[in-house]
Amino acid sequence: MEPNADVWVVVPTYNEDPVVGEVISRLLEVFPNVVGVDDGSTDASAEQIRAAGARVVRHPINMGAGAALQTGIDFALRDPGMRWVVTFDADGQHSVADAEAMVEHLRSSDLNVLIGSRFLGSGAVDMPSSKRRLLRLATVFERATSGVKLTDAHQGLRAFDRWFAERLRMRTADMAWASEFLQRVGETGAAFEEFPVTVAYTEYSRAKGQRSINSINIGVDVLINRILRGQR
Amino acid sequence: MQWVKVPLILFAVLVLVALFRQRQRVEFRAGSRVLALVLVAAAVVSIALPGIPQHVANWLGVARGTDLILYLLVVVFVLTTLGLYFRLRETETEVRTLARTMAIERAVAEGAPGEPVGRAAAADREDVDPGQPGGR
Repeated sequence: MEPNADVWVVVPTYNEDPVVGEVISRLLEVFPNVVGVDDGSTDASAEQIRAAGARVVRHPINMGAGAALQTGIDFALRDPGMRWVVTFDADGQHSVADAEAMVEHLRSSDLNVLIGSRFLGSGAVDMPSSKRRLLRLATVFERATSGVKLTDAHQGLRAFDRWFAERLRMRTADMAWASEFLQRVGETGAAFEEFPVTVAYTEYSRAKGQRSINSINIGVDVLINRILRGQR
Repeated sequence: MQWVKVPLILFAVLVLVALFRQRQRVEFRAGSRVLALVLVAAAVVSIALPGIPQHVANWLGVARGTDLILYLLVVVFVLTTLGLYFRLRETETEVRTLARTMAIERAVAEGAPGEPVGRAAAADREDVDPGQPGGR
């Protein structure tokens, strides 16, 4: 078996055509199975992903990062040989070496889930300090709502096994997916750890980054979902 | 201030939340249809005999008939809005499921027909000795 042939990397993508091709190429050097989920981009993201050599799943409408991620996970689940899934950002902030290390750690342990953290070590390179403060607040919120204690609440680089992938079934379509993910970790009793990762805040990704005021949306969505607990 | 109002309001809100969680049940569907009919009947009666709202209001201890109608309106409005919100959520979920299924089916079809989704599956298939019945 090719190295890491039992791993699928899911790259949710929305209008990242300047950088996604390169991100995919770097991933393909280490992981043969990469799927870019194009969430209804209006630019050439899907073509870039295809050209770089990864599989593409294209949403006919824009639905949000959480929905794109869940689609990618569903796609990966169709491969009976898949044993691990890695979620990886399309904007170049994440490091392939980190992803590789996370998978290695999962292989050699009994863990179900690894969540990258920027705050275990030197992880956050050039992070704007307002963002740092906001993330601290998010961490407190997450601890209160999901019962899961983390140092980094909204980190997109995560790796998990098939068992967890089958149970994840995220309903959240937008950026609040990270919170539902944690909730599922708590609910399923998945064995998880945080893993130190480095996130590079390039000019490109800073310009595109999540707006801080979006945290209000996320916070409210999380609370509503908790109240409804998946009921229709 | 009448402090008893606080737990009463809280209770009302909790009942509402509980009701909405159970909303799919047939009894509640029937109940809301009956309620709708009752409201329509009440509207017709109030228009035909304008004294009735005032009469009912007095009986309930509300100052004016129009006040009573206003309170009823608020309740009906809130219930309607909540109902629509949940219906919308359901519809959104259905749309997402449809879009996702379409997207995945197309992607699976794209990877040349017959080609497995992942490399591990491909390796498995190559390992199967066609000479042995049932494969591995």
